Amino acid sequence: MTELRSHFYEQLQELERNLVLMGEHGVQMLTDAIGALIVSDVDAARVVMDADDVVDDLYLQVHHEWLEVMARQTPVAIDLRLMSVILHVNSHLERIADLAVTIAKITRKSEGLPHDPTIISHLQEMGDIVTSMVRAVMEAFTARDLDAALALPEMDRPVNRLNRRMVRKVAALSADPELLEWGVRMIVVARTLERAGDNAVDIAEQIAFLLTGEFREFTDASHHD
Amino acid sequence: MNRAVTHDGEAAVAARGPGHVASRPISATVSDRSEPLADNPDIFKVRGLNVHYGEFHAVKGVSMAIRQNEITALIGPSGCGKSTVLRCFNRMNDLIEIARVSGSIEYHGVDLYGRDVDPVQVRRHIGMVFQKPNPFPKSIYDNVAFGPKIAGFDGNLDQLVEESLTRAALWDEVKDKLNGSAYALSGGQQQRLCIARAIATSPDVVLMDEPASSLDPIATLRIEELMQDLKEDYSIVIVTHNMQQAARVSDRTAFFTVDTEQTGQRTGVLVEYDVTSRIFTNPREQRTEDYITGRFG
Repeated sequence: MTELRSHFYEQLQELERNLVLMGEHGVQMLTDAIGALIVSDVDAARVVMDADDVVDDLYLQVHHEWLEVMARQTPVAIDLRLMSVILHVNSHLERIADLAVTIAKITRKSEGLPHDPTIISHLQEMGDIVTSMVRAVMEAFTARDLDAALALPEMDRPVNRLNRRMVRKVAALSADPELLEWGVRMIVVARTLERAGDNAVDIAEQIAFLLTGEFREFTDASHHD
Repeated sequence: MNRAVTHDGEAAVAARGPGHVASRPISATVSDRSEPLADNPDIFKVRGLNVHYGEFHAVKGVSMAIRQNEITALIGPSGCGKSTVLRCFNRMNDLIEIARVSGSIEYHGVDLYGRDVDPVQVRRHIGMVFQKPNPFPKSIYDNVAFGPKIAGFDGNLDQLVEESLTRAALWDEVKDKLNGSAYALSGGQQQRLCIARAIATSPDVVLMDEPASSLDPIATLRIEELMQDLKEDYSIVIVTHNMQQAARVSDRTAFFTVDTEQTGQRTGVLVEYDVTSRIFTNPREQRTEDYITGRFG
């Protein structure tokens, strides 16, 4: 038995390599964005915003190559599912990088405002979990590891919980207008991290589809409390 | 029945390793959203079909049902027995002296190989179109009229010829040269003429053995479009080497392959038979996936 269509499989591997690269950039951007937020480093935040260009280029490259493979190779079965997954994961990773940019922009807008250490600590925790989720889901994708993909909703749970607590914590700052302004911005940061976590879960759903041929939503957003 | 065969509707999901997604709690499921096929009755029921050519065991243990008013594609590598199985559906293998067919094929509930069944009558109900267009050395009109005349047709022959050519999407191209030689037509037109000839005797099944493999892409697409129109009135079984053609035109697909036994004998077996969209997006059998993705050859 010999493998046919080696050129086609090289093209698929190239698409996957670029996705993995996007995932690594996404993890780095989230890490740097949270790091810049914690220490109010506007220059570091600027670096995160600039890094988005690399991810955008990769996104366009994947999209272009994806179209070419679809047009010329007419993939079927697991190859067709992989192509569908690549298109979805490409969008999710590009979105994750955009969310890191959103956090970086908030850091710049929050410059000079007072901080609340408890909220900072919560955001740090959320950021750590979300970056580990993105890292884990991309490893699951590379390893074709269904169990690892299925673990993502569990990882996402504390992120959702921390996000839900943010409004009350910020409301407690209402006596100080400047602290309150900062807190309102941090609600957006928490919401942004929660969205990044959701994108990682969505990627995990795609991995499960790739490996089983059945698409199932791990969680139903319409029934969140 | 061959244990490797999975019939559609059966939840014979092959082992996919640990941690199948269905075992986890989920709150929403998006199941197969493709349009379900109509629940058409079976026209053929094949059970334990074996075909030998002399000592050579060409096809082993095929069991499958062909549905009415559907297009069923038989695909697989050379030597897998797909054309042999196709020829069993209208007893064309009877014409090969050393061929021996065992098992059973029921056609509308009647044993196709029963002692009192006339193979000539069988072929009147179950027409065939071959790989290479094979019009008779006659006029276009006579090619279509020949079968009904032999069968004793006593109606309006002109009308029948026109209807058959219209159904075969050829009438407009030949209506002004019906007395011209069929050989003057292009390859694609000749093949549509052969389809018109096949349907002129009012069969209810049309078997097609690589009907477009000698045609250019445009003529191929015409034949494929024609098949979609014809399935309103006929059941179609097509053998094709072109997997994309099977994916484009058929409702169900049967994948055959070659099993090599310890003696070195190579025998055709049915690996998987399912709805075409399933076969080409998520086949149940690894051998199907390897073949259709071109992973191994």
